[in-house]
Amino acid sequence: MLHLLSIEFRKMYSYRTFWVVCGLYFLTIGFSTATGMEFLKWLANTIGKFGSELNTDRIPLYHFPDVWLNLVWWSGFFKVLLGIMVVISITNEYSYRTIRQNVIDGLSRWEFLFSKILMNVVLSAASVVLIFIIAAVTGFIYTPEINWKYVFTDLEFYPVYFLELLSFLSYALMLGILVQRSGLTIILLLLSYMLEAIIKANVDDYLPWLIQFFPMESISALVPIPFYRYAFQPIQDYVDPVAIIIATTWMALFNYFSYLKLTRSDL
Amino acid sequence: MNNVLSVSGLTKNFGKLCAVNNLSLEIGAGHVFGMLGPNGSGKTTTLGMLMGVINPTRGSFSWFGEPPGHEVRKKIGAVLEHPIFYPYLSGQRNLELNATIKECSKENISRVLDIVELTTRKDDPYKTYSLGMKQRLAIASALLNDPTVLILDEPTNGLDPMGIAEIRELIKKIAAGGKTIILASHLLDEVQKVCTHFAVLRKGNLIYTGPVDVVGSGSETVEVGADIIELHEILKAFPGTNSISRENGFYRVTLRESFHGRDINRYLFENGITVDHLVTRKKTLEQMFLEILSTKN
Repeated sequence: MLHLLSIEFRKMYSYRTFWVVCGLYFLTIGFSTATGMEFLKWLANTIGKFGSELNTDRIPLYHFPDVWLNLVWWSGFFKVLLGIMVVISITNEYSYRTIRQNVIDGLSRWEFLFSKILMNVVLSAASVVLIFIIAAVTGFIYTPEINWKYVFTDLEFYPVYFLELLSFLSYALMLGILVQRSGLTIILLLLSYMLEAIIKANVDDYLPWLIQFFPMESISALVPIPFYRYAFQPIQDYVDPVAIIIATTWMALFNYFSYLKLTRSDL
Repeated sequence: MNNVLSVSGLTKNFGKLCAVNNLSLEIGAGHVFGMLGPNGSGKTTTLGMLMGVINPTRGSFSWFGEPPGHEVRKKIGAVLEHPIFYPYLSGQRNLELNATIKECSKENISRVLDIVELTTRKDDPYKTYSLGMKQRLAIASALLNDPTVLILDEPTNGLDPMGIAEIRELIKKIAAGGKTIILASHLLDEVQKVCTHFAVLRKGNLIYTGPVDVVGSGSETVEVGADIIELHEILKAFPGTNSISRENGFYRVTLRESFHGRDINRYLFENGITVDHLVTRKKTLEQMFLEILSTKN
């Protein structure tokens, strides 16, 4: 496994696009999650100039346990950047035809795919670790009174966040392997949510129970929107096991389809 | 004899097109095996199947008596069609990556870079290399794991005459080391100079296979040139003459079996003729290749 991962890292060694996109991604999720409180203060200040008041202390964005779910939900938006990077990495192999040379040199097709999946795991895990650290640090800074019971509440959203990222990246990888052209794949990746939304809107009238089984929906449903609670509305602050089963199944299917396509086609 | 490669009934269809049809072939250890054929005759498709990148429609093959698999490919060095590398990585980094894939020592890298004389450019990105350098890096990559079998597909494509000569020398040097080489080419001169065996493919069919030695055997052809008007008549009277044609200002005499160039020389001298030009031509692979292609039509 380490062998395959080292192959993948060697491919990226002096590939500037990879490091720039990944750098931008981690900077974006890092900064945007770490500076939410400063943003609220700025917002309060701006609104204050117009005579209204926004009491930032009343919005416990960064208080334990809210901080865990809040940051996970927010950073989940940026996974599309990682998805684009995954697409570039796999479609490059087709446009440079290096996938062919890799196999000639003695990599099996499964090993080739598995090295890409491992890279997805590493990227997802790095995101989870980064957000976890930022949430922990900001939580300890902004929470007025540390109650250890709350510190350890809602932590289950981190493995779920990992599943969310890995499912999405598996989808991006599969799309890249099926389409093989980077531009078209990226467009399809970006349109996936919209295309699914159109289908969902039509299905909603007849078979509403079907919606949760849609792939993009299943990935989004893993981490529920947390902010309604600040408008005193109930939110789902637990992990839905059905959503996990559906998303995991999709993830397995995405990678299985990639495997089928890769082993059956001529390179 | 130990067979490095056995192919039986290998077939590949692309839709309605049959790229390789029922190909059976044996390649022994230490052979330098030339695969000849016009463009599109199925050479690269065959090699692609042997290297696991194209799934055969039918048929089977085995390397070193083992069934095909990715582990056995690590023992083979192969360059198919054109060189393929990551353009943004340097030559050195590309070879390090390939060494990781082949699970061989990275210490070989400097040695193979020396062989192909790329050591001075090894840290430049691959995309800055000239075509000749790319070809040489591909050969370096194929040699990386010290393979017992080397597959080269048109290794001199796009090279200048000096590059072609260099690659030819390189192939001879590698062959002298006892390696088995499979060389696909449509440069017949090339194959005749380096190969011990050859096969001819046309439209996916194997139409000939045999050793290169046989090419030179058979009847001789002698080119004769002299400043004598009746030379044609005199040559016609020579008992060993089969046929005469005129080419480039010389008479090209095809001799009957068991007659040789020295016989015609003696005959002319006895008739009081000294010639300016007397060359014995063996049949070239090119002539034989064209013969094979036309007879099997």
